[in-house]
Amino acid sequence: MKNSTYHLEFKLFFRGSSAWIGIAVLIITGLSGLYFGKSFIANQKVVIEKAAELQTKNTLNNIDHFGKDIGLVFFHNKFSVASVPEPWAAFANGQRDINPYLISVTMLALEGQLYDTDISNPVSMLFGNMDLSFVFIYLFPLVIIAFTYNLLSEQRESGIWSLLKSQTNQVTKVLWQKLLVRMAAIFGVAFLLLAVAIFYLQLPVDQTFFAVLSFIAIYLFFWFAISFFFISLGKNSNFNASALVAVWVLMCIVIPASLNLILTQRYAVPEALQNVINQREGYHEKWDMPKDVTMKPFFEHYPQLKKYPFPKDLTFSWYWYYGMQQMGDDQALESRAAVQKKLAERQYFTNIAALFFPAIQVQLGINELAGSDLTTHLGFQLAVRQYHEQIRLHFYPAIFQNQDISSTNINSIGLKNFEAVKVYGWHRLLSLLVITSMLTLIAMTNLKKINQLK
Amino acid sequence: MTSIILTIAKQTYKATYSNKAALALTFLLGLSLVLATYVGWQNFKSQNDQRIHYKQMVRDQWLAKPDKHPHRMAHYGYLAFREKHELSFFDFGIESFAGVSVFLEAHKQNTVNFSEAGFSNGMLRFGEISVAMVLQLLVPLLIFFLGYNSISAERESGTLKILLCQNVSWRKLLWGKTLGIIGVCLSIFIPLILLTIFLWASLSDWNISTDSSLRLAILIAGYSVYFFVISAITVLVSAFQLSSKSALTTLLACWIFFMVIMPRITQAIGSRIYPAPSKIEFADSIAADISRQGDSHDPNDAHYAAIKDSLLKVHGVDDVKKLPFNYGGYIMAEGEKITSDIYSKHQKDLNKIFEKQNSITGFMGLLNPYLSLKQLSMALTASDFNTFIDFQNQAEAYRYQLAQKMNKLQIDKISNISPGENGKPLSISRSNWAEQPDFNYHFHTVGNMTTEQFFPLASLSLWLLITVGLLQYISKWIKTI
Repeated sequence: MKNSTYHLEFKLFFRGSSAWIGIAVLIITGLSGLYFGKSFIANQKVVIEKAAELQTKNTLNNIDHFGKDIGLVFFHNKFSVASVPEPWAAFANGQRDINPYLISVTMLALEGQLYDTDISNPVSMLFGNMDLSFVFIYLFPLVIIAFTYNLLSEQRESGIWSLLKSQTNQVTKVLWQKLLVRMAAIFGVAFLLLAVAIFYLQLPVDQTFFAVLSFIAIYLFFWFAISFFFISLGKNSNFNASALVAVWVLMCIVIPASLNLILTQRYAVPEALQNVINQREGYHEKWDMPKDVTMKPFFEHYPQLKKYPFPKDLTFSWYWYYGMQQMGDDQALESRAAVQKKLAERQYFTNIAALFFPAIQVQLGINELAGSDLTTHLGFQLAVRQYHEQIRLHFYPAIFQNQDISSTNINSIGLKNFEAVKVYGWHRLLSLLVITSMLTLIAMTNLKKINQLK
Repeated sequence: MTSIILTIAKQTYKATYSNKAALALTFLLGLSLVLATYVGWQNFKSQNDQRIHYKQMVRDQWLAKPDKHPHRMAHYGYLAFREKHELSFFDFGIESFAGVSVFLEAHKQNTVNFSEAGFSNGMLRFGEISVAMVLQLLVPLLIFFLGYNSISAERESGTLKILLCQNVSWRKLLWGKTLGIIGVCLSIFIPLILLTIFLWASLSDWNISTDSSLRLAILIAGYSVYFFVISAITVLVSAFQLSSKSALTTLLACWIFFMVIMPRITQAIGSRIYPAPSKIEFADSIAADISRQGDSHDPNDAHYAAIKDSLLKVHGVDDVKKLPFNYGGYIMAEGEKITSDIYSKHQKDLNKIFEKQNSITGFMGLLNPYLSLKQLSMALTASDFNTFIDFQNQAEAYRYQLAQKMNKLQIDKISNISPGENGKPLSISRSNWAEQPDFNYHFHTVGNMTTEQFFPLASLSLWLLITVGLLQYISKWIKTI
């Protein structure tokens, strides 16, 4: 008996064209999201492979051109680090279009090189990436709204409601059944898309998968809960549709955009511009100063390099030159720390805001899992910093002693790969769960009164 | 005839304002517009002030440099900051995604760095609240909410038949309803325009340039057309759909498709069809071209060996040290010329690829008035792609001029005999530095802009024509009952 009413509800639901249109929209946009998301990341992988080839080619070129002067080789030679996208980056491209995924630096002052962007089309960045996470965060809620907004109101507007009330005393159960049928349809499509994603993007079914799955599942539940809440108010279809779309616009556009405006206003980062100026001055002014001004702090920074004699009498030496470059970085230390502090404050602000707004929370959570967020990029910058330092300390002795370039292992230095440490923001799920269950509870209390509705 | 249209328009206007929910929505939107104007203005002011502050600092530091070799100055280089147009507080456009500062030095073209997006942890991706965003995205939604039942409610209540019997034609009804809805929009839009003009005028210290006034005028005209098109579509959908509910769902579905889904997809398709090279590929192809032409940093290069031989011949000397000018400076000037030409050619090709990528979205403006208006609005507020490219070009021109100026100083004023390993480095007086002017970005005038924006302008006009035509002649196909 019970099964057969579900069966009937299913039939009823799928007989309407709106059900099929909704499902078709999700599947088509979902598949195109998968396609564009994958091709975007595939392109980055190709470039990283090419970068590995070019690293060797360019090094050999530089040795060929400037090999007689070891200091000049390192003046020109770039060392590249690649932020290798992990499989989930194709699912959520995140900030990978904005932040460079390949940073090439010479041994000169790092602060003047680290922030160089990739060449990219700002219009494409403005419109944003088309990936599967976009479909889950933006479009699934809209289809959920389309499927559920008239769940109760339609019955009342078509006159079925009074008929139904006279025949059964369990009208809430009928509503539940309708809701469950729609949930089954939405989750069915969601799981189908995720299953396709596993094969198409070659995602491992591991902890990350279950974390993403949890984010998406709770997020979809959240939108059902919102919709359910508006249903429980017992207003007409037009009110429900308008109100739900307005809530979507608020949740997915207006509130995050307003918060972002506050963020940019309150945590502007002029220190970044100051940092460039500090680095540039810190280095260039040393040309016009006695060599001691450079070398004293340099040896304080690197006491271990003191053992290589400094050619005081030469007008120019690479020893001095690299020392001056080092001063550029050292004098930008304070402004650099200020930038980092600002970015940390921004992250904190966003994390707090995300507690109250599920769309932000899910986006942050999924980008974090996909390694396409700002924190991952800052980790990448840090890795470049460490690598740069390592390269400097490795080659300084050879340069300072004016050795032959063939005595170094510069040939064998290839492309360095950076892989981010996985972060599992399970705690982010908590706020989603709390908001969703609160909404559901309120809706359920409201629903108790619907028997009195006419 | 017109009096009936006006009566209907007035009636619609009043009815809308008697609806509390509509009133609340309109009020909220008006409020958010005022906030967006204020915040947009603040944002503009603080960011521009920062940039001007650093611009001044860079200039002072440049002038304060002591006597030195001009080539040192060429490497010290300059920092250029991208200033915002005074109208950019209205529409942020690509502002947040485009870099802010670029380091200009000899031999090397650097990227424009430090976009706001680079400091964003993802929240920026939801969009930005600006006056333009509210007017482009949210006002249409308001129009849909206000007008979805403009005709269908009359039909449902049975008053439609009565109206049509009483000397009111379909044409008058459609025009009247459309004008009524536009009236509601204008009642929030007009005060806002006044506020915008006031703010903008006070921003520029009441020094209003004709160029900016023209921009603003076209901007207002563009948005008015957009609102008319949206209102007409709303009334038409309401007339064609048999129930208010289906009219509302159709309109909402259109909003989602045209304003949320379509822009992303068209841009993604553009990037896919016309792939741009990555930075390393770009740099590699430039390096390849340069080494084909000759590399001034390579002492054995054939191209430069030929130059050397001919110079020696012309001046009748056997050593470059005996030349009457600085040989190193001469060679560097030649090198700078070759590399800059090659670089500019590649950069031009790259910009063409980007333009092609954007052209898909541009073309789709024919189907989607939102996309047309968006492009037009960005162009008019100088927050668009072309302005950014123009900044890059002007900065590169400045860089080239600076490098060549320093080379010229070296050729003319630096001795050909190098002082030796332990000697004092050669230098020229610091008084020369002031000869290099400051970098000032000059915005394109609105004349250049309108030719660039021909397509969006044409497609908005087309939409206007189509909707006017529909309001006039479609009545034959509408069912009354």
